[in-house]
Amino acid sequence: MKIKIKDYLKLVVLLLLLIPNNLNADFFEDITSQIVENPKRLSYGVSVTDVNQDGNFDFIVTGFGYLNLALSYENGKLINIVNQKKFSDEFRRTIGVAACDMDKDGYEEIYFLNTDTYSGTKKYSDRLIDLDGGNFIDLFEIKKNQKDLNLTAGRSVACVDRKGDGKYGVYVANYGGPTRYYEYDKKIIVDKSVELNLAKVTGGRAVVAGHIISDKIDIFAANERGANFLYKNNKGKFLDVAYEYRVQDIRQNGRGTALSDIYYRGRLDILNGNWGGFHRAYVLKDNIFEDIAKPPFDEPSRIRTIISADLDNDGYDEVFLNNIGEPNKLFKILDNGLLQQIPIDVGLEPDGYGTGAAVADIDNDGILELLVSHGESVDQPLSLYKAKVNPNNKYIRIKPLNKHGAPARGATVTLISNLRKHSKTIDSGSGYLCQMEPVAHYGIRKNEKDIKIQIKWTNGKIKTVSINELNQTITLKQK
Amino acid sequence: MKPLKNMIKLIFICIFTLSFINISNSGEKNYYKDLVTNWSKIFPDSNRNAAGPKFFKYIIDKDITYEDFIEYNKLYCAVSGSLIDPNDTPEFIYLNQEGTEKKMCGNYYRCCVPCSCDVMKYSSVQKMKHKFKDGIKEFYVLTIKNPCNKKDFPNRVNKDYFCEGKKINKTQVQELDNRIVIGLFHNGRSCKKDEIDIINNHQITGSYCQLRNNTPLENLQTGMGDIFIKLAR
Repeated sequence: MKIKIKDYLKLVVLLLLLIPNNLNADFFEDITSQIVENPKRLSYGVSVTDVNQDGNFDFIVTGFGYLNLALSYENGKLINIVNQKKFSDEFRRTIGVAACDMDKDGYEEIYFLNTDTYSGTKKYSDRLIDLDGGNFIDLFEIKKNQKDLNLTAGRSVACVDRKGDGKYGVYVANYGGPTRYYEYDKKIIVDKSVELNLAKVTGGRAVVAGHIISDKIDIFAANERGANFLYKNNKGKFLDVAYEYRVQDIRQNGRGTALSDIYYRGRLDILNGNWGGFHRAYVLKDNIFEDIAKPPFDEPSRIRTIISADLDNDGYDEVFLNNIGEPNKLFKILDNGLLQQIPIDVGLEPDGYGTGAAVADIDNDGILELLVSHGESVDQPLSLYKAKVNPNNKYIRIKPLNKHGAPARGATVTLISNLRKHSKTIDSGSGYLCQMEPVAHYGIRKNEKDIKIQIKWTNGKIKTVSINELNQTITLKQK
Repeated sequence: MKPLKNMIKLIFICIFTLSFINISNSGEKNYYKDLVTNWSKIFPDSNRNAAGPKFFKYIIDKDITYEDFIEYNKLYCAVSGSLIDPNDTPEFIYLNQEGTEKKMCGNYYRCCVPCSCDVMKYSSVQKMKHKFKDGIKEFYVLTIKNPCNKKDFPNRVNKDYFCEGKKINKTQVQELDNRIVIGLFHNGRSCKKDEIDIINNHQITGSYCQLRNNTPLENLQTGMGDIFIKLAR
């Protein structure tokens, strides 16, 4: 009898030693308390840009009948720094947001996509916010820019440097009306969607732009009740090749989408969530995108935003699936495209109505923060998470600026080392309503050495630099 | 101590295996996902009206086992060309074996009830043989006569899917004795007397189908309306 108890104890100890693989300590810590004034509200898209032009990035959080916020990191807290009506605008019901430098002044304008109806014609147009001498102005309120106002319900917006010259246009994924593409033309903001072959009518949901299939900026739009679009950049105009590349996915309803180097092979592939449908991990093989997603990653969920980023600085990207009305999911992209689910408790949000999310190293400590917004049918406060990072993990952050001095959204940064060739996009928005910080954030793997950084600018030109010192943010300027 | 050691080994193996369960490289087949993913490949013009034969052709051309073949063929409606939810249950029906009055009983997976009536009235059952990964198998299929000579070929159906001139387009659909295979007849067999009674007395395959099959074509609104009937009659 004595031996039996001893043996049972051994068994229990052995179990305790082995089981932690599935019961490991929480991946995230909840740092929501850093948000000053965080009431319940209906929030949607989140973007990261330098709102007040002080050299630091801020989170923009849109409000649906609530204020649009600009959350800036000050003294260990995230605090709203903008209370001007044109920006805050609680009446127009903003859902999508993206920032980029449309006027080539080196600073990003902010596109707020307003939607007061589910589909078709809406009452209020979008806003295009610029900071002018300390005042936020809406460029769409200037008479000369009012010819082509967007009066169709929409969802997402993404910035596209279609010619690679640093002059950004904004692709507006509309719902139940034609897609819009806004760009400056002779100092007037006009819709060029027809001229660029983009003016298709669909149930527009997500849109991303970057080096997807060409050396210029291509566009992938995930749609609802219709085929997805994959626009190949053809000398600044676009050709839909979704059928040829097998990404139409006509039976599914697109949502969160992110460009991610799924195979760590130095190219951007596509992670694409579908509402109540199969989530895709499209990797390009022989000029066709093959979906390599398997359970549990591909299992249908009420998906909203998808984020691919190295949250714990281990050199492997995590994929955060933000669901609405059901628990979030977190995966790690291992080598060979394996997506391993990471069990989470903090950040699971089983009752959360997630509507948007974005990452940024908002406190400049070398670890990404994850801001999650909530809303739609339930008013909830924002959440802020940060991975519990091994203090020995190192990082390198690459912040590319184009020749006008603005974030080079759409450029591709590739880390090349003895262990990997890992590409990341400088996020153009809008995986679903949202936009990440315009920085390529890399954790460093164990035994990783000979690190070089290659940047492919939006015009396709490539520059390579060696990295001699880690744990820093390197700003690369386009010449 | 030996049994305990073996038990520990077993537990270790179990936990080691379990620890990989959450890795997304499961080899489990998801037939439905495959059809959803390749829908645009099966229907390049997005027109799936009455295009069950396109699904059948896509499936039979795959390098799969007989079991895979059976499972795939549960997921679309041979009459309408609609995808069917993987959890749907089939209808128990009978049809005539082609060229005879012999009644064949079996299961039909349909998207909606009118399709059960249409398939019973306008298609036949034939035996087919095919070489799968795991060997040659014989099974029963649902077929319709060659529609390519029709002057009133339904304009909402993509004729190129079915026909090459007046001949059946064998690259697009499966041909069997100059007829088009529209789908698999699951568990097909000669009917027993009581099975025919069950089908005739069933609220769908009995009374509902009697009503539908006696409704003038121009008044048919449900199911595929008159599209499949015009193609198959």
